[in-house]
Amino acid sequence: MKFGIFYEISVPRPWGPTTEYEVYQNCLEQVKLADELGFDQVWAVEHHFLEEYSHCSAPEVFLTACAMVTKNIRIGRGIVVCVPEFNNPIKAAEVAATMDIVSGGRLEFGTGRSATWTELGGMGADPDETKKTWDEWVRIIPKMWTEERFGYQGRAFSMPQRAVLPKPLQKPHPPMWVAVTSPGTELDAADRGMGSLGLTFGGFAEQEKKIAEYRRRIKYCDPVGSFVNEQVNTVNFLFCHEDNEYGAKTGQRLAGTFNYLAEQLLAARQAYPTRSYPNLGLLPALRREATSAPEGQIPEGLCIGNPDRIIEVIKKWESVGVDRINFLLNAIETVPQEEVLASLRLFAKEVMPKFAEKPAPAPAGVGGGN
Amino acid sequence: MPLVGTRPTTDFEHGPLLRQPGGEPWVLPSAQILQVMYEIEQGAMTSLLPPALHPTIPPTLVVTVMRAPESPVGPFTLAEAKVGCRSGARPRALSVRAYCDSAAACEALAARWGYPVHPAEVVLAKRYDRSWGAVRIGGRTVLEAHLVDPEAISGSDIQYLATLNTARVERGGEAVPRLIQVDPEYQFHSADRGMPELLAFDAEAFALPGAEPYWPVSASLAVADVAMPELRYLVDPAKPPLAAVERI
Repeated sequence: MKFGIFYEISVPRPWGPTTEYEVYQNCLEQVKLADELGFDQVWAVEHHFLEEYSHCSAPEVFLTACAMVTKNIRIGRGIVVCVPEFNNPIKAAEVAATMDIVSGGRLEFGTGRSATWTELGGMGADPDETKKTWDEWVRIIPKMWTEERFGYQGRAFSMPQRAVLPKPLQKPHPPMWVAVTSPGTELDAADRGMGSLGLTFGGFAEQEKKIAEYRRRIKYCDPVGSFVNEQVNTVNFLFCHEDNEYGAKTGQRLAGTFNYLAEQLLAARQAYPTRSYPNLGLLPALRREATSAPEGQIPEGLCIGNPDRIIEVIKKWESVGVDRINFLLNAIETVPQEEVLASLRLFAKEVMPKFAEKPAPAPAGVGGGN
Repeated sequence: MPLVGTRPTTDFEHGPLLRQPGGEPWVLPSAQILQVMYEIEQGAMTSLLPPALHPTIPPTLVVTVMRAPESPVGPFTLAEAKVGCRSGARPRALSVRAYCDSAAACEALAARWGYPVHPAEVVLAKRYDRSWGAVRIGGRTVLEAHLVDPEAISGSDIQYLATLNTARVERGGEAVPRLIQVDPEYQFHSADRGMPELLAFDAEAFALPGAEPYWPVSASLAVADVAMPELRYLVDPAKPPLAAVERI
């Protein structure tokens, strides 16, 4: 089990002249500490126009700053919106390769297509097209990285032969992921040999079914990249405190605030009738189920409370097949920065050692008593 | 936290009195429903909504014209122009004034579901190249919304928002303003989508002063059996969003 942190970069109203600066500085401080504490990865989203919920429209810049203040933590571009009104595949490949170089080969490359009318409408994108352009881009970007010169004539994108430069430091290229929000996208990830970057909060039972099907399908995949990235990455909230009651209460406040903000967004489906964005009926219900509980109880899958409780929760996630958990640490600064940092420290001290990778068993006949 | 409405709650004191919640269920077989959505100018983002509701980002106008060929009170056509919003975390659309072409339907819709409905000439027309809905009051067109170049889709691709009707309910012998949540169920027979065109919209006629639709989003036309729901929730327009919802 590996642990990471995950950023939407939500900024609370009222927006003063330095509010965004302060939130970004807090995030960078958290990333620096997470690196020192041994967290494995930091991810940042690409969102546009999502007032309060996410002021993270240039994650490549934020993540480059993260890379510059850290040594080991991997840098997760989560995600590149693979829609031509948002980005360009050549530029996406170039920026990613540059990030991989300047971070010393630490890039994780997430892909996706946006899910809100706020963004799709704002950029003038056709919701019917996003799945198709995503599918085209995830096949050509790894070729841009690995082929000396690349040319392509496709449906939504074409280019004459050119050397797309620079090439990533990681060879053959950084691991590729798909953001999984719509039902069934985890199967798209499996069929393409990509990691599943879960961005919704299902309970254990729901996630176990999805992960089992992902594992089954990826065995027969046709990978879009040069290798299969069979990994399940999920997202969770983290607030770790010695006092279980205080930890749970604060964590639930964090989760509730985040979900409340998320529900304010205008989902693509609510504005535009299209088969491209399947019915959202299940997802908000899942999110509510995963983050709410009867009075006096803590939602089963959330990493909030004292270290003992969080260890139990993570063991359950491990048992259903999750490889990595990324934690949201805050939402519109609901939790004071000092408490966020203390939560990270306590988690690293009390929880992470329980999930440290065990050394490989010694080969037979070595080190024995014979 | 998200923005909330700033509209004076006195604007919500003139809705119909909800006199007969409950009663026999209504099913409206093979109703035609035209829905046209536009983004509206952000200057009116909060001024159209009461303090109990959050605006959507971006703010939207949802025009719905429904032709019910059969109902317990006979055929009728209902036209609404609603503001997209959130009641807490739930997606909703606020209706302050609506129009209907049948006096009997006006009476029943207001009494049972709180529709703030007024009599007017309301039409819904379907052609192969376009469909449109219109409202005329005293010969003046206050709404004309079109779907152009229809293409067939699945009814399950359409998502209708639950409506919050501006009405009043009895509380301690007094009529107090409440927003009545109406969330019908739909069994789709067919559906189309197309380009939206809003050729006429009089914001004052729908009690939405300052609403300026300017950016077309979507249009759909469905044929569905519509089951009018039992009422479950009310919203007190004066309270903050997390304290405003009341269960019936």
